[in-house]
Amino acid sequence: MSPSATESVAILMPSRFDRETVPALLQEVRRGIHEGQHRICLDLREVESFDSAGMALVVGALRAAREAGLQIEIQGVQDSVYDFFSLVSVERLLEEPQALPRPGFIEGLGGLALPLAEGSQKGAILIGRSMWGWVLSPFRGQKLRLGKIAEEIFQAGNGAMFIVALIGFLLGLILAMQAWVQLKIFGADIFVADMVAVGVTREIGPLMTGVLVAARSGSSIAARLGTMVINEEVDALEQMGIHPNRYLVAPKVLGLAMATPCLTLVFCTMAILGGWLFGVTTVGLDAMAYIEQTHQALRTADILAAVIKGATFGALIAAVACSLGLGVRGGPEGVGRATTRAVVTSIFLIILVDAFFVLFVKLGA
Amino acid sequence: MFFRRTRSIPEEYLQNIGAHDDLLRALFVMTQFDGRTVLDGVDLAIRRGEIFVILGPSGCGKTTLLHHMAGMLPPTMGSIQIDGKDIYGIPPAELDELRTHMGFSFQHGALLNSMSVLDNICLPLREATQLPEMLIRDIGRIKLDMVGLIHAQDLEPSDLSGGMRKRAAIARAIAMDPDLVFFDEPSAGLDPITAAEIDNLILKLKTVFGITMVVVTHDIPSAFTIADHMILLLDGQQLAKGSPEEILSSKDPRVVNFIGRTMPLADPAKVDILNYVAGVDSRLPEPRGANS
Ligand SMILES: Nc1ncnc2c1ncn2[C@@H]1O[C@H](COP(=O)(O)OP(=O)(O)OP(=O)(O)O)[C@@H](O)[C@H]1O
Ligand SMILES: [Mg+2]
Repeated sequence: MSPSATESVAILMPSRFDRETVPALLQEVRRGIHEGQHRICLDLREVESFDSAGMALVVGALRAAREAGLQIEIQGVQDSVYDFFSLVSVERLLEEPQALPRPGFIEGLGGLALPLAEGSQKGAILIGRSMWGWVLSPFRGQKLRLGKIAEEIFQAGNGAMFIVALIGFLLGLILAMQAWVQLKIFGADIFVADMVAVGVTREIGPLMTGVLVAARSGSSIAARLGTMVINEEVDALEQMGIHPNRYLVAPKVLGLAMATPCLTLVFCTMAILGGWLFGVTTVGLDAMAYIEQTHQALRTADILAAVIKGATFGALIAAVACSLGLGVRGGPEGVGRATTRAVVTSIFLIILVDAFFVLFVKLGA
Repeated sequence: MFFRRTRSIPEEYLQNIGAHDDLLRALFVMTQFDGRTVLDGVDLAIRRGEIFVILGPSGCGKTTLLHHMAGMLPPTMGSIQIDGKDIYGIPPAELDELRTHMGFSFQHGALLNSMSVLDNICLPLREATQLPEMLIRDIGRIKLDMVGLIHAQDLEPSDLSGGMRKRAAIARAIAMDPDLVFFDEPSAGLDPITAAEIDNLILKLKTVFGITMVVVTHDIPSAFTIADHMILLLDGQQLAKGSPEEILSSKDPRVVNFIGRTMPLADPAKVDILNYVAGVDSRLPEPRGANS
């Protein structure tokens, strides 16, 4: 081979320079750029019809040649090809922007923990602000919107009633079964009633109800508010002087703070019923004796604790969901993220707050 | 109701509406939504390689007509033919194949929010062709540069302005080098310079690629710049059809009114009363007859 042949490589483009022929040509151009030493030449003389794929090949060849430090020449360019390139700027096409760096592992971990902290903080601030705005609103001549609250209570409460009752019943059944396995060793069968009643009312009832409400209402609140944000509905409200905290957040926080304790009581009642059913049918306890035992075991303080916990959890869930929903950025993707986060953060907070409750009661006693 | 699937169109009728070597025909198109008639007897014929403009006021059924023509929504009555075939009478697989030769730029962009702008443009290429990734990226970038959006290639659709979203939608519509492209108000909401660039792009697409284009628009100057033929719709009825010159020379007052964009003259009675109320005029206007 003569030296000039390796110095300059010419590649002839076919008459149909389109999607069908281009993939094969791409290989040829790559090889040419690899072999060529100074110059490569794309010959478009034969081209009769072309499409964007053909033109993309030309751009790709220009870029590859530039990167390899080769001269590139394009020959036989016809008017239609010129016309095509009059629509774009080859210079702009050749410069690729830098790809964004991906976060490393440690940063990734931070990225997992941060939303929890952020969501909790935002939720706490929002509870303060929205409640303050709500309490002040009558003095500012604004409506309290009690109807909205009733609507929220109904939405959260009525919709969750069935599933809360069902899970409560089954859990009471399971709990009684577990308790009995232990208690029958000591011949203390009747204390199954105490175990179920106190355990459910003080701990499991509020906790499970909280988790259910977070999954049901928390996610839906975050999604609804997030969608309102990306549709600029929240901006529109603000612009009309209707503050979202008062108009959107306060009714939801109050609504869930009222609906959740009710659901908690439903849960506890159904769980006790489940325990009773197990006690009466399987353990063979006397139906009335079980009820009497339950009655003695439960103190007013236990029921009060369930109600207070329920209200706290409800308010927390609504506040976290609202703050994350109102903080949505970046379209539907953002709504999805906020919804997931709302559930995870509020379940985390419920358990955290529950731990504080336990600590508080232990220290107080 | 479904006669359009079986009855063939009489040849004289086609001659009458000027249908010869047409790429697309809409025949007796009638559309109802919940019993409300939105389109009422629209006929049109679009020739290969031309730019066909659909003009009309807001809510007159332009988008609906475009959806019919693009194979997205069968009309209640009437038929849409592409290359002489009723597109709602052919098997779904054939319609899908036909769709790969059509592009559609939606009125509000309709970009997929889960991916970057460039990925939106590349999506049809990745899904429907065997091209290597490197070429697909370059094709996507070429299309984005055509609409002046190459600097925004890595942005998410939610980070684009309304006009940018619209231009990205145009880029996606032409990603596959379609033979037939539908534009739903490509330049509405754009500044005059960008709007003129879009007009220019549409004209270039016609001359360079010979693409047939159907453009819905409100913008009358733009319509007369780009159109080879146009149809003027009013309340779902065709008011006028023909070349821009024919439309301009129309004597129909409704056409003249729409094209001239003249506001309906202010009712003198109302003006007089306003003047009286505002204290500009001290005389109370004389009551007029109800019919005057
Ligand atoms: N899916 C639908 N269901 C019911 N009515 C509809 C539907 N789509 C459109 N319409 C009605 O059909 C009419 C025409 O709508 P279309 O979107 O075609 O108008 P348009 O001419 O594109 O208006 P614009 O210029 O504002 O986009 C409107 O009155 C609208 O309410
Ligand atoms: Mg429309």
